[in-house]
Amino acid sequence: MFLNIFKNEISYWLDRPAFYVYSLIFLFIAVMTSGSAAGLFDSVTVTVGSSRIVNSPFALSGLFAGLSTLVVFLYPSIIGVSVYRDFKSEMHTILYSYPFTKLEYLLAKFFSGIFIVHIIVLLIALGIGLGFNLPGTNPDLLTEFDIKPYFDAYIIYILPNMLFTGAIVFGIVTFTRNISAGFIFVIIILILQGFLVSFGQEQENRLVAALLDPFGDMALDYYTRYWTVAEQNELYIPIKGVFIYNRLIWLSVGLAIFISIYRLFTFSQNAFTFSFRKKDSVRFTKSNFGGITKINLPKIQLSFSNKTKFNLLWRLSNIDFVYIIKSWPFISIVIVGLLLNLVGLFELGNIFGTATLPRTWRMLEAGAPFTLAINICTFLYAGLLIHRSRISNINQLIDTTPTPNWILLGSKFLAIVKMQLVLLSLIMITGIIFQIYKGYYDFQIGLYFYELIVLNLIYYVIWALLSFFVQTLIPNPYLGLFVMIVLLIGIPLTSVAGIEQSIFKYNQGPGFSYSDMNGYGAGLENYFVYKIYWLSLGIVFYILTILFYNRGISTGIKEKFKIAKSRFNGKNPFFLSLFTLLFISIGGYIYYVNNIINVRKSAKEREIETVEWEKKYKKFESYSQPRIVSVNVNVDLFPKSRNVSASGKYVMVNKTKDVIDSIFLNHNRGISTFEFSKENSLVLEDTIYHFDIYKLKEPLIPGDSLNLNFTVKNQPNTFLRNNSPVIYNGTFVNNFTLFPSLGYSGGELRDDKTREKYGLPPNKLKPHPSDSTALGNTYISNDSDWIDFEAVVSTSKDQIAIAPGYLQKEWIEEDRRYFHYKMDSKILNFYAFNSADYQVARDKWNDVNLEIYHHKGHEYNLDRMMKGMKAALEYCSENFSPYQHKQARIIEFPRTSGTFAQSFPNTIPFSETFGFIADVDDSDEGGNDFAFVVTAHEIAHQWWAHQVIGADVLGATMLSESLSEYVALKVIEQVNGKNKMRKFLKRSLDTYLTQRTFETKRENALMYNDGQGYIHYQKGSLIFYALSDYIGEKVLNQTLSKYVDKVAFQSPPYTTSIELVDDLREVIPDSLNYVIKDMFETITLYENRVLKAESKELESGKYQVDMEFRVSKYRNDEKGKMFYGDEERDSIFYKSDDMIKPEYSVYLEDYIDVGIFGDEDNNELYLKKHKITSINNKLSIILDEKPVEVGIDPYNKLIDTNSDDNRKKVESL
Amino acid sequence: MELVIKNLTKTYSNKVKALDNVSLKIGVGMFGLLGPNGAGKSTLMRTIATIQSPDAGEIHFNDINVLDDQLSLRKILGYLPQSFGVYPKMSAEQLLNYFAVLKGVSDKKERKELVNQLLEITNLQDVKKKNVDGYSGGMKQRFGIAQLLLNDPKLIIVDEPTAGLDPAERQRFLNVIREVGTNCAVIFSTHIVEDVKELCNDMAIMNGGKILKHIKPAKATKEISGKIWTKSVKRDSLEKAEQEHNVLSSNYNVDNTINIRVYSDKKPGVGFKKTEPQLDDVYFIALKEDQKK
Repeated sequence: MFLNIFKNEISYWLDRPAFYVYSLIFLFIAVMTSGSAAGLFDSVTVTVGSSRIVNSPFALSGLFAGLSTLVVFLYPSIIGVSVYRDFKSEMHTILYSYPFTKLEYLLAKFFSGIFIVHIIVLLIALGIGLGFNLPGTNPDLLTEFDIKPYFDAYIIYILPNMLFTGAIVFGIVTFTRNISAGFIFVIIILILQGFLVSFGQEQENRLVAALLDPFGDMALDYYTRYWTVAEQNELYIPIKGVFIYNRLIWLSVGLAIFISIYRLFTFSQNAFTFSFRKKDSVRFTKSNFGGITKINLPKIQLSFSNKTKFNLLWRLSNIDFVYIIKSWPFISIVIVGLLLNLVGLFELGNIFGTATLPRTWRMLEAGAPFTLAINICTFLYAGLLIHRSRISNINQLIDTTPTPNWILLGSKFLAIVKMQLVLLSLIMITGIIFQIYKGYYDFQIGLYFYELIVLNLIYYVIWALLSFFVQTLIPNPYLGLFVMIVLLIGIPLTSVAGIEQSIFKYNQGPGFSYSDMNGYGAGLENYFVYKIYWLSLGIVFYILTILFYNRGISTGIKEKFKIAKSRFNGKNPFFLSLFTLLFISIGGYIYYVNNIINVRKSAKEREIETVEWEKKYKKFESYSQPRIVSVNVNVDLFPKSRNVSASGKYVMVNKTKDVIDSIFLNHNRGISTFEFSKENSLVLEDTIYHFDIYKLKEPLIPGDSLNLNFTVKNQPNTFLRNNSPVIYNGTFVNNFTLFPSLGYSGGELRDDKTREKYGLPPNKLKPHPSDSTALGNTYISNDSDWIDFEAVVSTSKDQIAIAPGYLQKEWIEEDRRYFHYKMDSKILNFYAFNSADYQVARDKWNDVNLEIYHHKGHEYNLDRMMKGMKAALEYCSENFSPYQHKQARIIEFPRTSGTFAQSFPNTIPFSETFGFIADVDDSDEGGNDFAFVVTAHEIAHQWWAHQVIGADVLGATMLSESLSEYVALKVIEQVNGKNKMRKFLKRSLDTYLTQRTFETKRENALMYNDGQGYIHYQKGSLIFYALSDYIGEKVLNQTLSKYVDKVAFQSPPYTTSIELVDDLREVIPDSLNYVIKDMFETITLYENRVLKAESKELESGKYQVDMEFRVSKYRNDEKGKMFYGDEERDSIFYKSDDMIKPEYSVYLEDYIDVGIFGDEDNNELYLKKHKITSINNKLSIILDEKPVEVGIDPYNKLIDTNSDDNRKKVESL
Repeated sequence: MELVIKNLTKTYSNKVKALDNVSLKIGVGMFGLLGPNGAGKSTLMRTIATIQSPDAGEIHFNDINVLDDQLSLRKILGYLPQSFGVYPKMSAEQLLNYFAVLKGVSDKKERKELVNQLLEITNLQDVKKKNVDGYSGGMKQRFGIAQLLLNDPKLIIVDEPTAGLDPAERQRFLNVIREVGTNCAVIFSTHIVEDVKELCNDMAIMNGGKILKHIKPAKATKEISGKIWTKSVKRDSLEKAEQEHNVLSSNYNVDNTINIRVYSDKKPGVGFKKTEPQLDDVYFIALKEDQKK
């Protein structure tokens, strides 16, 4: 019997068109995803260049499992519905009298669904394989075909997930007899999984997330999180430990669910419903024997006036609306959405573990996950409302009422919009609840309403219009929903196939973002234009929906078209043409602006331009150019019209030994004029790359100087086009954006394989620091060394404009405010201009003026920032050298320009979200006080960048970023104490280990790094912190101080990381020489862990601690490939009897902290560096106090791939 | 008041000709549309009820061109389809109210009174708060009548309404229909001859998409008066009798003999007795004659 039912089910599906639609869609998605990853679209769009193999076992398992996860959307209508279908068609009345057992029936139904899903999964696997092998894919990104990853992914991910989710969906739909309920479960589990993924980003949550993730992704992540590129390219996914537990947990849950279905299911069962009312049972008898009733109906007035029609529209929409909000799918989406929204509010916007204040814009941003919920509700209920009367078989009654189609359809549409409004207002409600919970009462109700009801609602309405059309054409609402989800996800992804312009992609276009300082800025205009454009198309779809709306019974497409034609009367043709015309003309206009008035370049064209630029002008790289020695500029900022115009004068000197006959000038695409103080002729003016060559009539001899007077202004801002860096409030623009520079400016393609394709030689990225010919420029600028700087900046009357330097004079002239700044000492050719309506907080450190220019209302952390400035000024001037300026200023800029801070000479632009609105928790559990830390880091840059600046070679940022971050760590240490440092160090370590796995080029050792943040910030700071621990803070700082003394404000050749490391080597004892090699010259990682920790109380009242721990270290090459030594003899190994494989290590003669901690606030009882020479170590230490925890490198000072197993609680014997 | 149907034709995509050049004139009163299952009755009724469009033909009701101006007809139409469902979790009162709104009863007070009155008439007053999807067949059919009457219809179309009802329900249903059908046109389709006999002042017999006969029931029986003969035969000789005579119907007697009715101008043979013609005979004659063609 099992086989009969099973076969019957399968043949049912094989007859369904929906099955083929699903199969084709998934096949298509699989081919496109794998194809585009493998560079299928390289000929139409940017080249996929990466050192990552796209069909490596790791990548392939992820892709296969990920795409198969999308199939869960089909479970309700494939697996879930199999039993319910028998009820719906009332087959069960016959079927259940047949001779088969419940188990046979349920198993056959369940596994036939699973079987059908398998066909689709198989197609996905085929599609992936096909996509990778299509002609046009890039063989460099691919490795040989291997079947094992497919099997791994299938056995470990896909099958267990399918059985578990399938069983639940099967149960839910069988008992509720509601496909939507199954669907909602799918959505909820996907949202929950998404939540677990973000929850697992925090290190301490990872084990829990790994066990709880129903799809197993976090369990895999638990092992592969720190996999380097080489490991990702080569290794099979690890099927072990937590991963297996996770799978077992969820398989058993699935099995348990199936067993409960089996026990609960009866062949005569009724749908399962929730009811909170008590059920009374009453005996009904009939008393309606014959009889003639006199029918005397009241005379009623039927009204069909326009007023009653609109009333009717409203009333009907209310009925549909109530239907939606009382239905379980909606309620569950709302409940889950609300919970996740609240949870998200706690997590979102955290920086270094510290929350930001619950500003209203942040509450709105946290509502983003709700976007999916609102869209899915829209798609689902559009289908359910349209097909509801047909599904309930009440359509013949409704369709014969004298209600016009536009009311029947319009009421449904209105109901959907009302639903969207309810969902949107929930974002506001959760936001306000959260704000109240946080004790934050600045609600900005107007902002809530404006963003939710004006900006967001249009977006959802546009989707609703399309989903009405799709759901009308497709008779099955769940297929319609699926198609809409594919469109929602797929439309933005068409970019990878070269469809880049938003006007070709439904409901796409510029977005908006809000900042306290600048509001929505000038971008909203564009947003509305695009939304009106898509709204017009949406309305066209809606009119088509009216034409094709299914009223009554129609069969066949021909009849549908006939009916549509007959409905094409009245105002329909007018509105259809009106909105088509509107759509085409707005679209045409946008196209005209973007493609004809302005030159739009596709990503592909930009890639080719970069190639051309290099081919044409790289030859000028080695030509000698004069150096800028003095800059004097006048900058006029016009915040209201968002314009800038400026003029300036460069004084340039030929510092070379060559005669210079030509000047190579780079400038921006604005309107500019250039005038040299010596006679010249313009021999080349390149309007694409904005690169001009002036030939001097009389060459510039060594030591001679030349002036350049220039004016620049932006191209005028036009409708749809913003051509200026100036914004209404909070302009932040630097000299590279505004002003001309000299010489070939670089900016080449970095990926060697892509370069090869275009016939370019491999890219060195940057020269090695040992290359003495490459030390002529700093890594900030290639046309100057140290300059004199003076600027007059003007802005509107209500704003303050700032540039580096000391304010000489401030005045108001014709409604504009002028500021004259002058620098009293030499600075790098690196400056910026800021303008906004600022408040100023002032303080003093010794004789240095401290100022914070901030937005009114952002006073929360000014004290912390002042403290940060003082602490860093104190630390650096005490340890390295005096501060070169008499002021330090922090200047706030809007979050819409980024979340970062940047140090210019005595001037530090600082994003509003990077400290100003931090909600610092000073308790031990609290995160990083980043308002303080970032300030300290930026102040430290006044030394480590603005006094000492490295040459433009590998490792240069070690001298600026790593040392600034080291200062920041030291300053925190002063505030918090040494034994509180572990959380900061662990966080940095985790960030380093995580970020390096995303590397697409190469990871070099610290002193040769290519400028990656994770190396120069996280790894660099850890290394300098550890070094200060090894050789002493004092020794390290003295060395640094001497180094500063030697190289500060130097002229070329500039210093390099080699110079500093050599200085360090001199002060390091021989026994620690390995530290230099491990930390600076190679990528070396430890795997330190405590295996055993026991203590016993001795008769003397003392305690003996016995511990066993392992120490091993390995090295990585630039792709992350593991090795243990340059040669065989450099490595050691350990193997005990119970170990299957030996453990290897680089040769050890290392000094590593061994620590023992007591009961009281984890106080240090013992901390000493032990010399470790073997992998496995046993130690016995006698202590006075009772030990609680022991650790090897307990503070995580070293780079260690698992920082959690360094400590262990002591077992008392 | 007159419903005129001209040359209505409809062929389904599976090549079934559901309406084959149907023309009919229907006036005030009860019009019975008689035919076996699959005769095209429902297609005809749905087409008149504006929810299905024909391939060709015209329908006029008074001065309304039904196929062009569906909304005008719907204003005065009461339609009860062969089978219908309802929205789950809605009571009779709520649903009737909903339909009243849809049918243009815009005044809230009027609507309430109307719904109340209809619940009374259809004897659903006691169960008006109960969900309609839990109703028995008869109750649901009464609900169907109630919704049909909401807009005081001039044209009423009921499609096989008595199928599956118990005798009391059926009787009650027919009475209500009869009561409302006195001053409007009621089209009533059924395959039960009894219904037509009891109720209709006009009728048509339909099969294979064609109107076989359009006649007043009284006249129809009169026409064949004296031509219906009956005889009791043994089971074994039934086949022979069927070959020899124009047997309209046959049914078992208690003693295992079979009673046959034969249509013949003169006495068909020995043992035949003349009998009063019934409407059933008219029906079977029409079907048989159609079959011969």
